[in-house]
Amino acid sequence: MKKFLSVFLAAMMLASMAACSGKTNEENKAPESTNPSTENTTTPSESTSSGPQYYNTYLSADPTSMDISRVSDSYSSTVTNQIMEGLVRLEEKDGEYVIAPGDAQTWESNEDGTVWTFHLGNNKWQDGQEVSAQDYVYSLQRSADPATGCPNEYFLVPLVGYNEVRDGADVSSLGVKALDEKTLEITLAYPVPSFLEMCSGTIYYPQRQDIVEQYGDQYGSEQEYTMANGPYTLESWVHNSSIVLKKNPNYWNADNVQIETVNLTILQDGNTAYTMFEAGDLDYVGTSESEWVEKFSSRDDTTYVQFATAAVYYSFYNAQDELFSNANIRKAFTLAIDREDVNEMCFGGKNVAATGWVTPAMAVGSTNYREYAGDAIQEMYDAMNAENMTPKDYLLKGMEELNLGSDPSTLDVTFSLAGTSEWFRTYGEYLQQVYNAELGVNLKIDFNDWGIFYDNVQNGNYQIGYMAWSAYYNDPYDVLSLFMSTNDAIETGWSNAEFDKLVTEAQSTLDEAKRLELYKAAEDILLKDECVVNPMMFPTSNSFYKNYVTGYSYLAFTNTGYKGMSTGGR
Amino acid sequence: MGKYIIKRTFFAFLTLIAVVTITFFLMRSIPGDPLAGMARALPEETKQAFYAKYGLDKPLFEQYLIYMKGLFHGDLGESIRYAGRPVMKTIAETSPISGLYGGIALVLGTLTGVILGIVAALNKNRWPDYIVMFIAILGTTLPVFVLISLAQWVFGVKLGWLPPSGWGELKHMILPIAVSAFGSVATYARYVKASMLDTLDQDYVLTAKAKGLSDFQVITRHVLRNSLMPSVTIFAGSVVGVFTGAFVTERMFAIPGIGFYYISSINNNDYTMVLGTTVFYAVLFIVMQLVLDIVYTLIDPRIRVSGKK
Repeated sequence: MKKFLSVFLAAMMLASMAACSGKTNEENKAPESTNPSTENTTTPSESTSSGPQYYNTYLSADPTSMDISRVSDSYSSTVTNQIMEGLVRLEEKDGEYVIAPGDAQTWESNEDGTVWTFHLGNNKWQDGQEVSAQDYVYSLQRSADPATGCPNEYFLVPLVGYNEVRDGADVSSLGVKALDEKTLEITLAYPVPSFLEMCSGTIYYPQRQDIVEQYGDQYGSEQEYTMANGPYTLESWVHNSSIVLKKNPNYWNADNVQIETVNLTILQDGNTAYTMFEAGDLDYVGTSESEWVEKFSSRDDTTYVQFATAAVYYSFYNAQDELFSNANIRKAFTLAIDREDVNEMCFGGKNVAATGWVTPAMAVGSTNYREYAGDAIQEMYDAMNAENMTPKDYLLKGMEELNLGSDPSTLDVTFSLAGTSEWFRTYGEYLQQVYNAELGVNLKIDFNDWGIFYDNVQNGNYQIGYMAWSAYYNDPYDVLSLFMSTNDAIETGWSNAEFDKLVTEAQSTLDEAKRLELYKAAEDILLKDECVVNPMMFPTSNSFYKNYVTGYSYLAFTNTGYKGMSTGGR
Repeated sequence: MGKYIIKRTFFAFLTLIAVVTITFFLMRSIPGDPLAGMARALPEETKQAFYAKYGLDKPLFEQYLIYMKGLFHGDLGESIRYAGRPVMKTIAETSPISGLYGGIALVLGTLTGVILGIVAALNKNRWPDYIVMFIAILGTTLPVFVLISLAQWVFGVKLGWLPPSGWGELKHMILPIAVSAFGSVATYARYVKASMLDTLDQDYVLTAKAKGLSDFQVITRHVLRNSLMPSVTIFAGSVVGVFTGAFVTERMFAIPGIGFYYISSINNNDYTMVLGTTVFYAVLFIVMQLVLDIVYTLIDPRIRVSGKK
């Protein structure tokens, strides 16, 4: 499970911001580091300067709360990831994902992967109390309880008894048990291949019943209402201004935590972050603005890290709309876009043209999905050329099927954008020009703020929409399941029994090769046959670290956090 | 006077109820919901449980009655966006911070502006006038984010004297105060100059001069007092503005003030926070209007006389 951008923020990010979720999570498919000596991701370098280490970084918004049962924003999980310890952590070793021990030092599952037993080590809460299996039981029960109103609880769907609890049964029927003080058993309703990765997410962290009950609704809302069991404790939290983290001496792996203090300034303004980085007040900054990338990458004291985010920018069609119910018309609108050109014209060439719906950050086990599945978009163009067609031919074919005549300029098509900024205005004009030149369509553009845009989409009140999506955890299921008929996250009104079947089957298939095959078949239906969604960009994020910062991860979904980092060379 | 204040207070109360009611229903008529900006689209059951937690599943009018009941007990509810943060507490903690740097900036800026305005008026069409008016035009036309970026770069990066952003120590306050004061300087310099020039042309000033008073006496006793009337009007508005914060300034300097909540709570559909900040603004505004009316009677004898009729 990835600390995620809300889709809203990811959309905002298009216009101006750097990828802001990954302060602790600098991910990279293909590291392009200007200073190879810092590509040290597992063992922090030894300290060379005197005095305790500190790290100055920033968050692009105030975390909503530290109560893991009541939040779902990336800023909250960035911080809870530091102050809490779950059963396992998803870390990076030699460029690949590894499941590293957390509270659980060892674990095993039964044959079919439905019963998981975790053996807890001797980790302690910040007040000295031992972390017990019961803390996990309480936490999961609290999140599943409808009375908590947890916006993240659907990550508990695979647990036995989840549906019953959802429908009002007592939380004790949830498939989570403390076998003894230090042994936790989680029972799943069906095998989940990526269950351990899910377990590294915030919703699987433990909670102390006495603390939660003592503070009630205010639990997690302020520094004094938190209880840490992770590498750091929350030292102070001034809303919308700053957060200070201090190394937690009670943490089981405290010996390997190098940085004593982490200062997080809450900076909602990108320009301010750049200025602070220049002034030396930040050790890290992320940006996607070309002029800043150029400026920072020319600095000698800075390491430039480029990484593919777990996000995709895409347009999508309302299959319930009269016009876009037709697959040929959807195909025409998909293929009329030149992704390289969009990248140059609208993103300063900083991103990567999309090659499919599943992002390049994703892997099935140790196989990178995109490397396995190839460039689905290029294959669509190849198929088009083999048929001797053009995007406009598909449009005319679709119009004929719908009895709409043969003049594309008579079509009434509105493209909805979720933003009203200058960037979105320019982008809208670009789309108008492209669709006019390629298809002869007179496109209308509808600009709205996110809330209104999303409301329209959810109510099926749109034709083409444009959004960003950021994956939550490292399995193609996370993004492919969005288009299942049972999922209404992106209300395309499209459903396909074959697609549903493939994705459902893949979800509980433990064999990795088989799973890859199923996912690819599903993606092919989604893109090549049905063209429900039009992947446009794989956004790249550009991170800059002062050279003395080491130990950050290059993989999109790791959650090692500041724990693995060092600023010893400062 | 007592009866007047009671009457005004009563109407202020009615105004407040109207403001809350209108805001409540307007806010709820905006498309979108508090969950939209939070994360991915959620399963229907998850949404229902979340709405139930915040009482959003009840009929709208019932929610309104619950809210009004809470309001009369001084309870503004809990933020929907920020789990566990009472709205009242948020306002109580953040508005003094906005008030602190904003207040200092307002006082400094106003005093400087008034002095510069006087200087400009007395030196009309000479170089001090041109300089003051140049500053004034700069201050009113330059967008605040440009001014802040410039200040951060010059003092934070180029000269390295001050931290470009951050909050908590005295050194962090200098730039925000200077930038905020700059706006006031510009505003007041223009107002004071214009009204000074107007007053200088009045017959009673001529009379005073004819009586043989020195220029200094004419200005301090007759001109200034009358020239400052328009400034008092805008000053009252500025005071309200101080306690409601400055969105851009606070955002760029990472100041934990209240300005953030005015904008973000609307975007986030954080209903309780929108209402809370609106109530706060309305109360401040109404109180300031009341104070303003009283202050007018003190500084302008004409209003005082007519008020006694």
